[in-house]
Amino acid sequence: MSLSLLLEKYDVSTEEGLEKALNEIEKEEEEVEEALSNVLSRACAIEGRLRTTSLAYARLADVRSDAQAAGDMVQRTADLARDSRVAECQQRVHDLIDLQLCSAGVEAAIRGHDYETGAAHVARFLAMDPGSVAAARARGAADPREAMNRAAQTLRDNLVKKFEEAAKKDDEASVERLFKLFPQIGRADEGVDLLARYLAKHVESSIRRNCTIANPSAEGAVFADALTRLLEAGGAVVERARTLAAGAAPARLSRALAIIQPVICGNARRLSSEMRTTRGLSAASADPRRAQYPPEPRTLEPTLDELALMHSRIYLYFAFLRRKAETDASSLEEPAKTKAVVTVHKIIAESDLMRTAQDLLGHYLTLERYFLEESVSKALKMATPQPGVTCSSLVDDVYFIARKCIRRGLSTGSVDGACAVLNEAATQLEREVAAALRRWVRSAPSDPLPLPLPPGTPANAPLDLPALPAATATLLGQRLNRDVEAQKALFLAHMSEADAGAEWAERLAAEACADAEPLFRASPAASAEGERAKFQSCAAGLAAAATAFRTAHDLALAGLCAALKPRAAAWADAIASPTVEDENEAGDALPAALDELAASAHAELPSRAADALLVSVVADITTRAEGRLLLHVYDREGGLAVERRTRRLAAWAGGGAGGARERCARLTQAASLLALERLAHVPDALRPTPRLAVHEVKDILARSGESEDGIGIEIGPRTGIDEIEDEKRVQYQDGDIPVLDINDIPLLIGTHHETPPMSVRVAQNWFKRFQSGDFDVKDEPRSGRPVTEKVNAILENVGQDRHISFYDIAEELRINHKNFSTLFKKDFATTERSAYARTVITRLIITQFEECAAFKMTWHLNTAVWETILGPCGKRDKFSNVKFP
Amino acid sequence: MVDPIFDYQFRLILIGDSTVGKSSLLKYFTDGKFAELSDPTVGVDFFAKIIEVQDGTRIKLQLWDTAGQERFRSITKSYYRNSVGALLVYDVCNRSSFEHIPLWMMEAKRHIEPHRPVFALVGCKVDLVGTNSKNGARREVPCEEARMFAEQNGLHHVETSAKTGLNVEEAFVLVAQEVYNRIQTGEYKVEDGWDGIKTGFNRPNGMDFNLLEAETVQSTCC
Repeated sequence: MSLSLLLEKYDVSTEEGLEKALNEIEKEEEEVEEALSNVLSRACAIEGRLRTTSLAYARLADVRSDAQAAGDMVQRTADLARDSRVAECQQRVHDLIDLQLCSAGVEAAIRGHDYETGAAHVARFLAMDPGSVAAARARGAADPREAMNRAAQTLRDNLVKKFEEAAKKDDEASVERLFKLFPQIGRADEGVDLLARYLAKHVESSIRRNCTIANPSAEGAVFADALTRLLEAGGAVVERARTLAAGAAPARLSRALAIIQPVICGNARRLSSEMRTTRGLSAASADPRRAQYPPEPRTLEPTLDELALMHSRIYLYFAFLRRKAETDASSLEEPAKTKAVVTVHKIIAESDLMRTAQDLLGHYLTLERYFLEESVSKALKMATPQPGVTCSSLVDDVYFIARKCIRRGLSTGSVDGACAVLNEAATQLEREVAAALRRWVRSAPSDPLPLPLPPGTPANAPLDLPALPAATATLLGQRLNRDVEAQKALFLAHMSEADAGAEWAERLAAEACADAEPLFRASPAASAEGERAKFQSCAAGLAAAATAFRTAHDLALAGLCAALKPRAAAWADAIASPTVEDENEAGDALPAALDELAASAHAELPSRAADALLVSVVADITTRAEGRLLLHVYDREGGLAVERRTRRLAAWAGGGAGGARERCARLTQAASLLALERLAHVPDALRPTPRLAVHEVKDILARSGESEDGIGIEIGPRTGIDEIEDEKRVQYQDGDIPVLDINDIPLLIGTHHETPPMSVRVAQNWFKRFQSGDFDVKDEPRSGRPVTEKVNAILENVGQDRHISFYDIAEELRINHKNFSTLFKKDFATTERSAYARTVITRLIITQFEECAAFKMTWHLNTAVWETILGPCGKRDKFSNVKFP
Repeated sequence: MVDPIFDYQFRLILIGDSTVGKSSLLKYFTDGKFAELSDPTVGVDFFAKIIEVQDGTRIKLQLWDTAGQERFRSITKSYYRNSVGALLVYDVCNRSSFEHIPLWMMEAKRHIEPHRPVFALVGCKVDLVGTNSKNGARREVPCEEARMFAEQNGLHHVETSAKTGLNVEEAFVLVAQEVYNRIQTGEYKVEDGWDGIKTGFNRPNGMDFNLLEAETVQSTCC
């Protein structure tokens, strides 16, 4: 009660009231106190309880984590239990139930001819965990395996029986249906065998129906066609076996093939032997040449084509099998896969069909060789040069024959076969054709190409036909003329052919290599590289044939150049002639003649050969002309004429034949020297670069009659030796080098002279020495300085135009000076003759042959002496062109 | 591929009856291995190996292994022409294979004409001789007899085993050396038109000199 209320209730103004109020307040105070102590006592209890609770809470957290761990463990344990044992147990329970069903079901199914169900039961049984069966037995049940095996066996027997019935009835649907059941009862291999046997029988009968030759002698490749049909049927049946088995029993192609292949082999063998008898190819190595009537090569072609076709068909079939084997094994893992493929390859390699193919190839190659050889020899026979024939198609013919054969060889599909044909073709080209061409171009006809003679030269002597009446003679002349013309044309034709032959042989090889690429692609990858190397090595044989053709061509070219030599010599004479002719027409004659030659060469020959020929002819003319320059003495007019002519030639060479201009440079410079007015101009003549050596310049200048130094030389007196030479000339054709023997020595040294130059014995010794190839005119080696050094010293002196006697030279060189000085002094050289003579002689001594040639002409050495000096060495034909003035 | 450097290339051919061991001999020579089982050769096989002769000249041997079976004869025949050497291979445990050697030699000579090849008589399977009781193999060709035959015909003779490798290398080196010797003495010329002997790449025109000389002499005389 609040104070104000208390004050209102009691009259505090009175004591009594106040007393009462106080009592009231005191009472109230007591009450409050009591309540307070009450509360206080409870607070204590609550505090104690609170402490207990917090303690308990902490303990509970521990319990909770323990409980969580326990729960996890329980969960895991449960999971584990469900995964293993429980599932296993459940599976086993299922199995046990199924086992009952299966063993009962199989029998029921067999009874009901419901093989699918039965097979499914067996499949189920086979898929069962062996543990289940063992468990069932452990529980005391009868061993179910025995029953199942029995049931499966019965099922299999029934299936086999049914399969055979179906096969007999040719009921394809049932066959396929039944075949699919075999893999289910775990007998896939047996199923494949059965199927393959069925298919083999099937294909056998269809082959018998389709692939027998009704009319073996009919036109066309009947055997090849039949074989194609056979192999197509075979391929189809193999593919069918593969697709059927692929679903149910994969990767068993080799098994099926082992059964089917013999049927195909047998039939192919039958066809091939039928073909052999019909086509007259009896024994394996039947050489048609040994036959009583060797067949015409042309008639063999259909047979050859047919053989090649048959062979290629078999190869195609094998390639097909290999491809299928790859596909079939593609589902397998690596080692098994390779094994499966290798098994198929082995079946192929060992099959009789492979042997049939090899036999066919053997026949083909024997025949092809015969065809090639006969065709080539026929072409050769037709191309053999005959009078009047001007053209030849030998290389064309042979090229087409070879190409045909090589292509046919490639069409067999066998690299070995193609290689063998390539080898044969190369042999024929090289040994027959190139050799024949070589034989025919060996001797070039005279004047094979027109190179007109210089004006004023007598033409070839007319044919001498005195005893014949005029009309006959003309006719004969014409005939001969025509024959000669034909001969020339034929020679040129052969030469072009040799050139073409080389090119074509190479083209054949390249073509063959390109055409053979598909073969390498078709062959198994492992061996493709080796096959290619083999083929290319064989193709290289054709390149060798090309070389043989090229040799023939070069031979012809050399012959041609040689045949033009006499005319070239005539032109060289004309150039070097000191006579002055009418300026215009004569200067043009040589270019015109060369133009004619060039035109006909380009028309008749391959351009490469024509160019080579022209260069060679120009070179021939210039070198000869250069030699001729030393034969004459030129007055000013003559020199100018020579120079004019050489300039024309050089101009022509510049335009007409590439490369020939080079050859003219020396001659042009030499001619310029002749045309010089003053010696001081010599350097001008040798521009741009001197082609002539100093001594050569001197030689040339010596021929110029009006030279300032007056070293022009008159022709020396004819000598006794020259007379002997005249005698000998009767025996030898002009220009020929007589072959001497030792008996000619007395004649040679002129024993009829009053003072012979040397004794016969000494000359004979020299001769022997020369004959043995030692044509050095030194005496036997002696001690002292080397000869070359001495010669250099002498030449230096000569160059300075000092006087050197023969004796000096001989002494320096330690040669038998008597022999030489006597020889030369007596007959050719007189003391007042200038250093020029000594220069030449010195060079002669050191055997500088080019200069010797000039010397020989200068001094009119007769052939016999010349021969003694040079000796019968190989070098002498270098000077065969040197003619005696 | 760049060919390894060699001075000459010789082409050799192996001939002899089937199953005498030509392929095994060659396999040991090229691979250094012996195969217990090997398939019969089909047609011809082609190998190459570089060897050195006595003076260190490197020679590339191009080896043609032929099938011995009769039905491949028409293929193998075409390979004779370009061969400079022929190994006549027989089986020392097979009498008839030895008796056929003269036939093989005649055939080779006929086809290689006009060239004259180097022949070597090579007996194979010498390793079988010791084990006659086990395999039933017995030496049927006495070494002396073969040697005598070789001497009469001017051949080299060697007995080999492709299993143990005995004399295998020697057989080939023997032929290569003889060919090389004949080149040195000038009996063989390196001809462009013949595949039997060729010069290698590192000697472009080295030995052609002989040939060129001969050719020019021939052409000037006609």
